[in-house]
Amino acid sequence: MRNFILIIRRFFNLILFFILEIICFIFMAKARTLQGDDLLSTANMAIGLIYQKKSDLVYYISLDKMNDSLMHENARLRLAVSNIKSLDTLSSYKVSKELYNTDTTVHEVRFANYKYRTARVINNSVNSVNNYVTINIGSKEGVARGMGVISGTGLVGYVVHVSNHFSTVLSIMSKQQLVSARLKDGTYGFTSWDVEKPEVFIMKDMPQEAKIYKNDSIYTTSYSHLFPPDVLIGTVDKVYINKRNGQKQLVLRPATNFRKLMYVYVVENIQMPERKDLEDSTTKAK
Amino acid sequence: MNLYIKNLLRFCIIIALQVLILNNITLYLFTEPAGSLFVPLVYPLFILLLPFETPVWVLLFLGFFMGCSIDAFMTTAGMHAAATLLIAYLRTNVLNALMPHNLNEYAGQQPSIKNMGWMPFLVYSGFLIFVHHITFFMLESWSWVSLLSVLVKILTSFITSMSFILVYILLFTKQSSARA
Repeated sequence: MRNFILIIRRFFNLILFFILEIICFIFMAKARTLQGDDLLSTANMAIGLIYQKKSDLVYYISLDKMNDSLMHENARLRLAVSNIKSLDTLSSYKVSKELYNTDTTVHEVRFANYKYRTARVINNSVNSVNNYVTINIGSKEGVARGMGVISGTGLVGYVVHVSNHFSTVLSIMSKQQLVSARLKDGTYGFTSWDVEKPEVFIMKDMPQEAKIYKNDSIYTTSYSHLFPPDVLIGTVDKVYINKRNGQKQLVLRPATNFRKLMYVYVVENIQMPERKDLEDSTTKAK
Repeated sequence: MNLYIKNLLRFCIIIALQVLILNNITLYLFTEPAGSLFVPLVYPLFILLLPFETPVWVLLFLGFFMGCSIDAFMTTAGMHAAATLLIAYLRTNVLNALMPHNLNEYAGQQPSIKNMGWMPFLVYSGFLIFVHHITFFMLESWSWVSLLSVLVKILTSFITSMSFILVYILLFTKQSSARA
């Protein structure tokens, strides 16, 4: 027993070092699971407050840029509204066709029902392997994990950590963050991002027969549980053919400028729990 | 100034410097297609500048605390803490190897250029910062696939960090009465 205590005293520092290292690795392992770990994230209350103060300062300086981007978005939305004044496919789509001669009721088909919340970006990283955006609304305003986040011009990411007043968003500029995407004609695939080429997204293995030109737009699909459909991801910058399998590889220029991100919309799909339940029950029934 | 207050102040200043200023700087020199290679990390300096006779367990706890704070600011979940712990553990051994006398004889002093001389201080900080960067960037990439680019990133970030650290030391430490 005495020897044991002596050994512990002799190697106390080494033992302490290993214990603390193991705690660090537990943090890392926890952050890699889907549930995540809120303790060491920018959604933390104190950290959020510090970033809020910093962004208050920076915002004052960049107000004119923000005004410009808001004006551009307003103009874009006005154009879109004038084009589809009769139909808002995102919220509801009325089928007024009479099913039977006797049935005169109007059937309303709802694909999805979206709720938008505006948020200010108070911190933003673009340098790391996984990049995060901190926004100034949290669970008190109704934000929850897994909600999609879009900017005025395109896709940003989805919420991963939530505290009372702040949340952390994992941006699509992150390693192994695959986004289900489609071309204008509906051909779909995945976009991915790599830290070695942080300025672009890659879309691999598109079929050779798909007609793809420079500056084609790439949108999200409705297959994803995280992002709303028909949000712009980016535009095609380069197309080259992989000589090994003959498939087309696309290099996309992101629609969102992550370096100048100032305000975002958190998008909640109100019908997502219902859809998830249905899809889960189908996979279980197999 | 009291030793504790001085180090507490330095803790706050270094975190503010790292998180509010340096994290927003993206240096794009020569790396336009390849992206962010020069990532300045100056916060290990807090561990490097603690007084000579600080016991190892205090260093370990302070390193853990510092790393976790930076992790919380950058959402990296323990990677910075793991790297900082390693250099906190190695610090005493490196100092013992570099200093001519036993560390207990330097009571109330902290490592600085005036104290150690230019070369030993550069070796001391350079070695520990290099170890820190290797650990951190390896943990961050977490794969052997992009090993070459990670190695380049380690080297370039190391040079950037060291230049920022030297600037910090020349600016914020008293040059005249360091050997009081």
